[in-house]
Amino acid sequence: MSEGKSFKLFTRPKFDNSSVVIVWNQDVGRLGSKVADYLARQLEGRELGEISPDGFFSLSGVTVEDDIAQFPESKFYRCRTENFVIFKSDIPRFDWYGFINLVLDIAEKYFKVKQIYTVGGMVLPSAHTTPRTLLSVVNSTEMKRILGGYDIVHDMDYETREDQRPTFSSYLLWAAKIRDIPGACLWVPVPFYLMTVEDPQACKKVLEFFNRHLELNINLADIDKEVEEQNQKIALVRGRFPDLDGYISKLESNLGLTADEGERLVKKIDELLGGSHSN
Amino acid sequence: MGVRLYKEPKLIDPVLIACWPGIGNIGIMAVDMLRRLVAAEEFGEIESWDFFYPRKVLIRDGELKDLEFPDNKFYFKKTGKKDLLFFIGEEQPSDGAGVYAEGTKAYRMANLVLDVAQRFGCQRVYTSGAAVAPIHHTTRSRVWVVPNSKDLLDEIKRYGNTVLMSEVEGRDGQGNITGLNGLLLGVAKKRGLEAICVMGEIPIYIHGFPIPYPKGSKAVLEVLSAALAIKIPMDEINALIEQSDSEIESVYQKLPSEIKEQLDKLKYVVYAKPSEPEPITEEDKKKILQEIDKLFKKDTGRDQF
Repeated sequence: MSEGKSFKLFTRPKFDNSSVVIVWNQDVGRLGSKVADYLARQLEGRELGEISPDGFFSLSGVTVEDDIAQFPESKFYRCRTENFVIFKSDIPRFDWYGFINLVLDIAEKYFKVKQIYTVGGMVLPSAHTTPRTLLSVVNSTEMKRILGGYDIVHDMDYETREDQRPTFSSYLLWAAKIRDIPGACLWVPVPFYLMTVEDPQACKKVLEFFNRHLELNINLADIDKEVEEQNQKIALVRGRFPDLDGYISKLESNLGLTADEGERLVKKIDELLGGSHSN
Repeated sequence: MGVRLYKEPKLIDPVLIACWPGIGNIGIMAVDMLRRLVAAEEFGEIESWDFFYPRKVLIRDGELKDLEFPDNKFYFKKTGKKDLLFFIGEEQPSDGAGVYAEGTKAYRMANLVLDVAQRFGCQRVYTSGAAVAPIHHTTRSRVWVVPNSKDLLDEIKRYGNTVLMSEVEGRDGQGNITGLNGLLLGVAKKRGLEAICVMGEIPIYIHGFPIPYPKGSKAVLEVLSAALAIKIPMDEINALIEQSDSEIESVYQKLPSEIKEQLDKLKYVVYAKPSEPEPITEEDKKKILQEIDKLFKKDTGRDQF
């Protein structure tokens, strides 16, 4: 690994035993990127370096999303809290293993990484009024012990189904395990109808954990406000559309929805709340 | 990183039979069955993580225990004459989003496979795949054979039930072999190795089915058996053909009658050369494939963990 072609560091602060939080822009309920943006805002995050998209992303043009041309980004941020780094990136399209190794090489060589954390949302057929839970998958018994003192579900069993594949976070966690870098994937179940909008409650759950565990001392008032605003908006939607209210009530009573009901709920929530997310 | 060999068998003039999955799993089913029937022994692998996205995560009690990648394994069988080397890849490596191998990863894998083959003195390579042909599923599949050198033409003309590209209607000896089953022929040529790709026919309307087509695999097995001078019992493949015939027939019966009428014309096509009645037109073909797509449409779940 040599700096220049594949990555660039803009500054060279000294790190010692840093914690690196890794998020992907392609995430359920925009959870990862929302957590990273909030942390960076609160902790005066500054760009520290970037990985070049060449070799990892399709550079045959640009994609357009919400009228805006997009370009893949893979950036490291440093914050006012010492030994804390955020890596926010698009999920690469090619050479996944090469990309993961580059991230871990940089984290080891320049940030003297002590622990890594990934953040992600997972879709659940639940109502937004259900309290969010934080789940973890660790790559070592040491990490399991570290997280043992927190309110985290940390005993799940899982095997990838035939029609699915592991997440990129799991891939990274596995690669970190090979290098003996303790790590954890943090997951928050996101109600399926918030999957294309935002889930500030899920975001808050992760922020609360980092705030306590990494002693970040960040102010959670802004995210509290967002949770309240979203709840109000959904309450208005429920008042205006009795059928949607019925669907959400069913979910609140742990009853399932038909495929058509679920589709309509996702579509209407996306239409009515989709434009409201703030970054 | 790259190749890991668990042992160094002493082999006599070995022939490599390499295969990756493709249309109807025709080649891979034939080669893997041959490997099992001759009881070839595993002796090495190409490490997968640099080539593939993992396909399974195993989490126990909240701890990530393992990540599974597609296998790429080498096997050998001592026969007393020409020994056999097998390479079987469970997936085709690709730099792009396609199912078939392309780009630098595919080229790297082809070279790694041939590095191992040459290390054991191999001079001849076979690969296998599918040939999408205008045939009916009730007819016997033939095998399209493509060598990487003119010198091999006389030899392969002696294999039974085979056709060369020049014998296929409208092809004039031209064509493409997509993915690593084709690429390996080219890389072997570059290294001065003889290579032959044997492709079992699959009906044009079945190649999009998400099921194997053992009839094509049997045709490949028969050609490999002749080419390698090995007797292969066909009981297992015959049982698979019986099962697949009934599955295909049940799908076939669900097709609209006008589509079935079109497809029935293929019963009268001989050796991929159309005879009376008139063959299926491009427009018909499009309609048929759309109908078949409808029958196999299924939803996939979102990735978790």
